[in-house]
Amino acid sequence: MTFSIVEKETEITGIMDGRLDTATAVQFAKDIEPLMEKAHMHVVLDCTNLQYISSSGLRLFLSLKKATMAKGGSISLKGVSPSVKQVFTITGFNSLFVFE
Amino acid sequence: MESLLHLKNNIDDVPSLSEWLGMLVQDGFFPEDKLFNLDLALEEAVVNVMNYAYPDQEDMPVDITARRDGNRLTFVVEDGGIPFDPTKKEDPDITLSAEDRPVGGLGILLVRQLMDNVSYERTDGKNRLTLSLNL
Repeated sequence: MTFSIVEKETEITGIMDGRLDTATAVQFAKDIEPLMEKAHMHVVLDCTNLQYISSSGLRLFLSLKKATMAKGGSISLKGVSPSVKQVFTITGFNSLFVFE
Repeated sequence: MESLLHLKNNIDDVPSLSEWLGMLVQDGFFPEDKLFNLDLALEEAVVNVMNYAYPDQEDMPVDITARRDGNRLTFVVEDGGIPFDPTKKEDPDITLSAEDRPVGGLGILLVRQLMDNVSYERTDGKNRLTLSLNL
């Protein structure tokens, strides 16, 4: 999976491309460190090209959500596909995030 | 139809699982529209085994057999590690707020929800987790 970050005045967006599985989650945990540091901002995860997510990935989404709550920021998910959305629904994670 | 995949209990081996499932689609084991859910259920089941069956050892075998009998698709995940029955694990409370959410337990919840049947047996010194789906 590739990950890039675009930062604007009050918003920081992480753009995901590929599969977020147990193997790629190790790198993703490092990739989102800048977002964790800036969790006082509005954090957007652009999931338009996120093809797959497993529980290892969900855990990192939750860490990011917790960081925004601790630092007074917010988080939303953009462009989530029906397959990926289903994983959020089964695990109840759909109620923890705003979907744009 | 039957196909066998040998993995080691190493996270680096997990991508081979997804590649193998892609091959099974091409071989006609199951239709492509089932691939996402099977990929997810199998990844969660196998990673669970990798995490618990061999706590102190790496590169130990985890074998997965795929079988298609009529409309029934079965995957058996087998390891020779310590006895561990993931089906006994209770599902996490998915209604909790983000603060109270435990980080674990999501894997087996997904396996249960995505497959029609999940069962465990311990035979010949091996853990055998069977996942099945009616196509």
